[in-house]
Amino acid sequence: MVRLERAQAPRFRYLVAMIPMAAGLAGVAIANFPVSILGGLVPAPLFGLVPVYFWCLVRPDLMTPAVSFSIGFAEDILSGGPPGIWTLAFVLTYALVARQRESFAGLSGMAAVLGFAGAATFACAVAYFTVAGLNLLSGLRWPPLVPIISELMMTVAFYVPATLVVGWLHHKLIGASRSDV
Amino acid sequence: MANAWKIARKSNVQLPLILVVALAVVVVLLGKAQGTLFDRMRAHATDTMAPVLEKLRAPVAGFDRFFGSITEIFSVYEQNLKLKEENARLRQWRNVAIVLQGRVARYQTLLHAVPDPKLNAVLARVIGRANRPFLRTMILDAGRADHALPGQAVMDARGMIGRVFLAGQRTSWVILLTDLNSRVPVAIAPGNVQAMMTGDNSATPRLELVSRTVTLHAGDQVTSSGDGGLLPAGLPIGTVVADGEGWRVSLLADASASQDVEILNFSKPPEAPPSSAELPAEAAGLKPQVPLPPASAVMAQIPAPAKPKPATPIEAAPVGPASADEDEDR
Repeated sequence: MVRLERAQAPRFRYLVAMIPMAAGLAGVAIANFPVSILGGLVPAPLFGLVPVYFWCLVRPDLMTPAVSFSIGFAEDILSGGPPGIWTLAFVLTYALVARQRESFAGLSGMAAVLGFAGAATFACAVAYFTVAGLNLLSGLRWPPLVPIISELMMTVAFYVPATLVVGWLHHKLIGASRSDV
Repeated sequence: MANAWKIARKSNVQLPLILVVALAVVVVLLGKAQGTLFDRMRAHATDTMAPVLEKLRAPVAGFDRFFGSITEIFSVYEQNLKLKEENARLRQWRNVAIVLQGRVARYQTLLHAVPDPKLNAVLARVIGRANRPFLRTMILDAGRADHALPGQAVMDARGMIGRVFLAGQRTSWVILLTDLNSRVPVAIAPGNVQAMMTGDNSATPRLELVSRTVTLHAGDQVTSSGDGGLLPAGLPIGTVVADGEGWRVSLLADASASQDVEILNFSKPPEAPPSSAELPAEAAGLKPQVPLPPASAVMAQIPAPAKPKPATPIEAAPVGPASADEDEDR
């Protein structure tokens, strides 16, 4: 309770409001740190998507569309792919999760993982079809499916540990309460 | 239930979701039209991260090697036998190559053949690798300050790895030959068959033959053709392997294991005008109607490439083929 009261004090409110964005940007930085593990066999997961999904459900007043835009934009800059695809994917995923907030937030256990898997699939599908559209405009082939499926599987596989970290941050620094906004 | 399309949830200062979506679409279109804006940001980001990456390189490489070699422990004996056999065979080929090299040198002397231009190279260290769904790249610790420019070929000791597609001041990004966006004109020997090697994110890039009538064989040598003048001809790339649908290239270089690479600075020097003695009129025994200025005076009028300034090396570097190639990769 002390932490919660402290977090709600006006002087800490701005710092608290920045935690979801900072967590998202940190996730993007970690995922895109150009270090190859296992000889580059598997792509890095979309760590930046976990804070977007988590705080969109728990505290949507802190995870705003502009924050999800910023996290997606950072993913675009650091990942090196065609610019804007992850920005669009993150923002549209945010829109989907925000519209179905009650459905997603009511999930628990394995269903919660499946809920995130659905959101991640939507994000990867948006990114894939955006790149495919851009390729078709340039007269190029469709991008291969295997890399984006690998990315999706890695993202879902790392959802539970990433959520533990994000949840810990939320309870320690923001507060346990769920926003009714 | 929260209405996601409202202008704000608690305050009026937040952007509406529909506007943010529109902004994201604009970013996609802007990225397609003006990719260099984003490239500059990326180059700046890796320039900033370069010191950290250089420090992390050694422990991460050791970790990567350890885990990468776990699967090979069980096949060490068979690999050893295979390598000994291959080594014996390669020693024979080495002797053949030395004899042939001497013969070629004699023929070149007899024919007064123009030798291949020697290429300047910058030695760079791999400080990062990224395997993303739409991009496979490696980051080198040499940038524009070291005259590494977009379009230049990157080689390791075995063969070509890829090309520089983005150069910051101290770092550069390499688009690998296996990347989806990679397209390299190649020549296949024997027969000097021309083809386009296109990456598809698999380990073996695809070969798209220019002519449908030629026949390839597994094991044929693939080198860069030099078409378009973007890459030098004759860079070793790999060997042809059969695929169910067509032909692919088994690359000589291993981009996932390379630690030190060379960035080849391939820029053609300005062509000097022929001396008057070589002109057809002179050769036919006629005097030219207008006296030609001496070759040295003509050369003096050609603007010489500026010497690199230590503080601003970007202006000194040749950018002609590189920028075109950069656009091609987009």
